[in-house]
Amino acid sequence: MAVPARGNILIDTEECKGCGLCVESCPPECLELLPELNAYGVHPAHYTGAGCTGCGICFYCCPEPGAITVYRLAPPTKPLVHGDAEDKVQGESHAAAL
Amino acid sequence: MRQLCKGNVAIVKGAILAGCRSYFGYPITPASEIAETAALLLPQVDGTFLQAESEVAAINMVYGAAAAGARVMTASSGPGLSLMQEGISYCAGSELPCVIVDIVRGGPGLGNIAPEQSDYFAMVKGGGHGCYRNFVLAPASVQEMADLTILAFDLADEYRNPVIILADGFIGQMMEPLDLTFREAKLPDKPWAVMGTAGTRKNLISSIFLEPDDLENHIRKLEAKYIRASRLEARHETFETADAEVLLVGYGITARVLRSAVEMARREGLKAGLFRPITLWPFPKEALRAAASKVSKILVVELSNGQMVEDVRLSLDGKVPVEFYGRTGGNVPSVEEVHSQLMQRVMQMV
Repeated sequence: MAVPARGNILIDTEECKGCGLCVESCPPECLELLPELNAYGVHPAHYTGAGCTGCGICFYCCPEPGAITVYRLAPPTKPLVHGDAEDKVQGESHAAAL
Repeated sequence: MRQLCKGNVAIVKGAILAGCRSYFGYPITPASEIAETAALLLPQVDGTFLQAESEVAAINMVYGAAAAGARVMTASSGPGLSLMQEGISYCAGSELPCVIVDIVRGGPGLGNIAPEQSDYFAMVKGGGHGCYRNFVLAPASVQEMADLTILAFDLADEYRNPVIILADGFIGQMMEPLDLTFREAKLPDKPWAVMGTAGTRKNLISSIFLEPDDLENHIRKLEAKYIRASRLEARHETFETADAEVLLVGYGITARVLRSAVEMARREGLKAGLFRPITLWPFPKEALRAAASKVSKILVVELSNGQMVEDVRLSLDGKVPVEFYGRTGGNVPSVEEVHSQLMQRVMQMV
């Protein structure tokens, strides 16, 4: 059974200046720089989509206010049925936006 | 209250403790958190945050608020400070107290958003026109970001002069413990200000003196102020200089690296010391001369191709050989890198 995701990261790619500080600082190494360019002409940061623990370190080290939003996902409200964990959204993402 | 705080945030907290209630600015990486925090906190203390349409507008709003007697600040990074230089010269010419923060990023031009110390010439030597000086303070920790901001407002009011906080993107962006004690800000009387009252109606804030003799008298008055400040306000910090044979000199984040390099050198038997200017103008010449009196070599390390090193050489007047090591582009030398540079140069002496 896959481990339920504990966090989610939204990145405003048009605010990102591609410095890579979040990529270097992410403990579970779940951020990367995209090969594509944004409007500034830099490679913006991107959440690979798995592994975020909601620790928020990328938010704190990002020099662009508003570029990164980290959500801590609420734990599931009832025990998961074995087998469908991978497809289920783990609870509401109510939003301990840091 | 002890808290974990980002350097840029600490500046705003220090400013609020100093009684600053006005911020005019335009965001730029890596100084944006200063505007962001000012926008968040100043309204909570009945202050004013205004995002100007450009840095040129921001510095002229600072001029206006300072002329009205307010404790006022702005913040930017290299490109923004280049735009502000005209306004800073006007503030100095009109003797207006204000605090301007430069969180230095890589240059020239747009450069990048990583830390450099390449605005030293522009800030310390006064990048604007005319015979004027900026006080320049160089914090090396998040705590100093707040403490030196408080000092900056006091110096600005005492000398009626712009004060620059020259920090690099590293110190602006890093988080460290910050200990702040609430205190009532003691705001000085400003009988010269134009406050829109009958009593201050006769006051005139201006930097224009069309008669040559009038302007020369004004410049002499400014110069007397700068000479007094040079005598009284130079600040520095030393580490292990008492028995040092070689001296490392650096400011801001570089001084933090140099401190560790001193410890590493001493573990290996080389008596190294550190001299860190806290005020870049006035430059602590006398203290540097004293610290360097017994050393055989000085290594200046900067995040530039050599700017403060000129003031070190001027202060020592050729009495001690001064060497330089610099990194640019946002690269910060490691302790091992500085140590190896130091050892190479010490070997050359033998």
